[in-house]
Amino acid sequence: MQATSRRNSELRLLFMALIVGTGALALVAVARDFESLGLAAPLIGAVAVCYIGATIFLRKVARLADPLILPLAAILNVMGLAAVYRLDPDQYGPTQVIWTGVGIACFVVVLIVVRDYTLLSRFKYILGFVGVGLLMIPATPLGTEINGAQLWIKVGAFSFQPGEIAKLCLVIFLAAYLAERKELLAIASSRLAGFHVPDLKHFGPLLVMWGISLAVMFYEKDLGSSLLFFSIFLVMLYIATARLVYVAFGLLLFFAGAFVGYTVFSHVRVRVITWLDVFDPRYIQDEGYQLAQSLFALATGGLFGTGLGQGRPDIIPAAETDFIFSVLGEELGLMGTAAILICFMLLVARGLRIAMNARTDFGQLLAAGLTAIFGIQAIIILAGVTRLLPLTGITLPFMSYGGSSLLSNFILIALLVRISHQTSETPAPAETAEILIGGRG
Amino acid sequence: MPDLVLDLLKYVFLILLYIFVARAVRAVFLEMRPATAQSKTPIAHAPARTAPPSRGSRKAPRKAAVIEGENLRGKTFSLDDDLTIGRAEKNKLVLDDSYVSQFHARISPRGETYVVEDMGSTNGTYLNKRRLTAPAELQRGDRVKVGKTVLEMRK
Repeated sequence: MQATSRRNSELRLLFMALIVGTGALALVAVARDFESLGLAAPLIGAVAVCYIGATIFLRKVARLADPLILPLAAILNVMGLAAVYRLDPDQYGPTQVIWTGVGIACFVVVLIVVRDYTLLSRFKYILGFVGVGLLMIPATPLGTEINGAQLWIKVGAFSFQPGEIAKLCLVIFLAAYLAERKELLAIASSRLAGFHVPDLKHFGPLLVMWGISLAVMFYEKDLGSSLLFFSIFLVMLYIATARLVYVAFGLLLFFAGAFVGYTVFSHVRVRVITWLDVFDPRYIQDEGYQLAQSLFALATGGLFGTGLGQGRPDIIPAAETDFIFSVLGEELGLMGTAAILICFMLLVARGLRIAMNARTDFGQLLAAGLTAIFGIQAIIILAGVTRLLPLTGITLPFMSYGGSSLLSNFILIALLVRISHQTSETPAPAETAEILIGGRG
Repeated sequence: MPDLVLDLLKYVFLILLYIFVARAVRAVFLEMRPATAQSKTPIAHAPARTAPPSRGSRKAPRKAAVIEGENLRGKTFSLDDDLTIGRAEKNKLVLDDSYVSQFHARISPRGETYVVEDMGSTNGTYLNKRRLTAPAELQRGDRVKVGKTVLEMRK
C-alpha cells in the first residue's frame, strides 16, 4: 500500500513538473512568435511521454523507491530545457530533447541491468580502471580541444565527454574500496611526521587512483572536474572513516595544489584575477567578459526577472552550458533561481537520506558519493557564475546543454533509485531472514 | 502579444513554479512520517495471535524487560506511564542505535490494556517479528523489537 502511495505521489509531482515545463516552453515560444508555439509543442510532448514512461516503469521494477528523485530531476531538466530552447530553438533545443530521451532510456536500462546494487562492488577494480581509462582518452590523439580544454572525443558528428561517465565509475570504485577497508583506514597503524596514519598497503591504491585522475584532469586543463573529484574523494573518505585529520590533510593538499596551479598555469591566474576584479578594464573585454556578462544578466533579472524569452541572456558566451543558471537568473529573477536552488537542495537531501538509510556500508558510501557528485558539481558552477568562487567550467546537473552530462546524471539517479528501493524492500538489518521465513509460513 | 499579458504570464509562471516546490516539500514531510496518519485508525490486535479482548485485559503486561540489546539487557521498565522509545535523550528508553529513529515507538496504557505504536520511524517497530502497521494491543510474552533491541512484556 505504501508502495502505491509513493508511486502515486511521484506521478502527481511529475505531472506538476511537466506542467511547469510546458508553461516555460510555451512562454519562450510566445515571446518569439505564435508559430513557434506549434514547433515547441512536440518537444515538450516527447519529454512528457519519456517521463511518464519512466514512472510507469518504476511501478514495475522499483515500486518502493523514493518518490521525489524523478520529479525533482524532471523539474531541473525541463527548466534547463526551456533555457536551452530559448537560446537556440533550431539546433540545441531539439538536440537537448533527444538527449533527454536517451538519458531516460539509460535510466531505465541501468535499473534493469543493476537488479542488485551490491553486486557492483564486485567489479570495483574493473570500474576503477575503466574510470581512469575514460579520463585519459581525451588526452590521447582521439581527443578534441573545445574552448581551451581537451575533454571531448569526436565520433562522427557527435562529441562526447568521457569524463562525465568516468566520475560515476570512480565513485563506485571508491565506495566499494572504502566499504571493504574502512576499519583498516580508520585505525592509525603507523606514524608519519608525528601523525598517526594508516598503512600504506591499504592507503596506497587510493592515493594512486586519486593521483592519476587528478594528473589527467590537470593535463586536460579541466579545473572544474579536478576540484569536483578532489572534493568527492575527501567527502567519501571522511564518511567512511569519520576522521577529521583526513579532511585537514586534504584541504592542505588542496591549497598546495591551488597555489602550484596559480603559479604554473596562466589560465588559472586569469580566473583568479577576473574573480577578484571582474570589471578590471584589462580583462573585461576578453577573459573577464563572460563572468561580467553573467553578473549583468543576474542584475538585469532583479527580483522577478524580465520574463521568459524577453531578456538578452544570449550575450553571455557559453550561455547554454556553464552559464545556463545566469540565463534563468535574467529571465526568472531571484524568485525563479531561488526555486531552482530549493529543488537542487531537496534532491541532495533525498540522496543523503537514501545514504543514511542504506543497509550496507557500500550502499551508504555509494549513495553519499553519488549525491556528492551532484551537489558539489552544482555548487562549483553556481558559485562560479555568481562570482562567489573563481570560475571553473563544469556543467550544471540536469540543466546545462550537453548529452554526456545528461546521460551521466540520469545514470546517477537510477543508482540512487535502485539503492532506495532495495533499502525499503529489506525492513531492518537483522530482520531480513526472519521476515522471509515468517512470510512464507 | 501585448507586453502587459506577457508580464502577467511571467508572474503566473513563477506561481506555478512555487506550487511545484511547495508540493515537493510537502511530499518530503509526508514521507518522513508515514505512520502518523495510521495512528488514528482503530487499534488492531497483536498480529501474531487472535485472542478475544476479555482475555487481553487479564493477561495485560505490567512491565517491559530488555532481553536483547547491547548494554541495557536485563533492565525492566514500568508501563504505568507512557514508555517512549527512541534515540533522542527525551525518551524514557534511550537507545544508541543508528537504526533507531529519534522518536521511534511508544507503549502506552489504553483502558485496561497497553498499546504499542510506531511513531513514524524509518526502520519500523516489530511485534512478534511482524512489522507494525497500526497500533497494537500487547499481551504478556509479546516481543517488541526496535532496531537491535528486543523488549519482552512481563507481569
